[in-house]
Amino acid sequence: MKKTTLIIALAVLAVSAFAQKKTTTSATVKFDAATPLDALPVAENKTVVAAIDTKKGTVAFEAVVKSFNFSNPMMQEHFNGERWFNSEKFPKTTFTGKITNLSAINFSKNGTYEAKIEGELTMKGITKPLSTTATITVNGDVLITASEFTIALADYDISDAKGKIAKEPKIFVSAELK
Amino acid sequence: MIQTPATAPKKSLLKKLLLAGIILLLAGGAAVWYIFTREFEDTATQEAAYTVSAMPFMEEFRNNIDEANKKYSEKIITVNGRVTEIEKADTAVNIKMADTGTGDYIIFAFQQQHIKAAKQVQVGDSIAIKGSCSAGVYSDILETGFITFKRCSINK
Repeated sequence: MKKTTLIIALAVLAVSAFAQKKTTTSATVKFDAATPLDALPVAENKTVVAAIDTKKGTVAFEAVVKSFNFSNPMMQEHFNGERWFNSEKFPKTTFTGKITNLSAINFSKNGTYEAKIEGELTMKGITKPLSTTATITVNGDVLITASEFTIALADYDISDAKGKIAKEPKIFVSAELK
Repeated sequence: MIQTPATAPKKSLLKKLLLAGIILLLAGGAAVWYIFTREFEDTATQEAAYTVSAMPFMEEFRNNIDEANKKYSEKIITVNGRVTEIEKADTAVNIKMADTGTGDYIIFAFQQQHIKAAKQVQVGDSIAIKGSCSAGVYSDILETGFITFKRCSINK
């Protein structure tokens, strides 16, 4: 009986450790559009869904636009408004891509690796190519990832009439996937 | 300089207009400053528009997601339910209440001042969480529905 229990426990552990699709529903995306003229608060979304398939090298993120949280109610309203993300019509922002240097990352060996990622970012119903790098730290069966890049708001038909915000805001992404 | 009777009232009017202009400018500046520096109130002190139970709440979104979003999105809601998962989110934690049958879930991200209390919660606890309901959507990644909350507090 004890032997059977041990075998089952080991099998469950093995499946868990080598599961090729790692996911989280608590990835964080920060949106920083501050300029030297205006120190706008950073918007933060901590309930982003993310997945990495370690075998295929696919990467996917999806963020609910209304989940981006500002400290200021006015900013929150502008961010979700028609001129900006129009979250009523386009409730999600998504990224799907691939790790192009998959062979350089050993998902079964603890360590920090640099991943090159190419994919497509869809915001406000507009899809544009996006290339970036990310660090992937392998810690047992957990992957800790971080990436930083900029996007051109004009590419996604997002305009700021007063010109107070950065035309190319910084985006910070971090996730702990299991 | 000696003022003529005609120029004295004109100067007095000018002074009054100038003073009114300065007051208006200061009031406008204060209003703009207030709007742009105002912060969201502590959710714990706000009154909930609805109090719901997690499972029927998820079912309502499953049955008609558009209507449910119209009803609940950007409103303060108190959700009663059992904690099924606690996930690390950057330096904070998110609490989840999931429907194990369908895979649907509600996820709560906490207001800065309530993160410490959220970290005390354990899986299996039956609790009430109050927060701003962002939206319910379908996840193409997880192939399940989920509802997100922001600026939450543990309802005591």
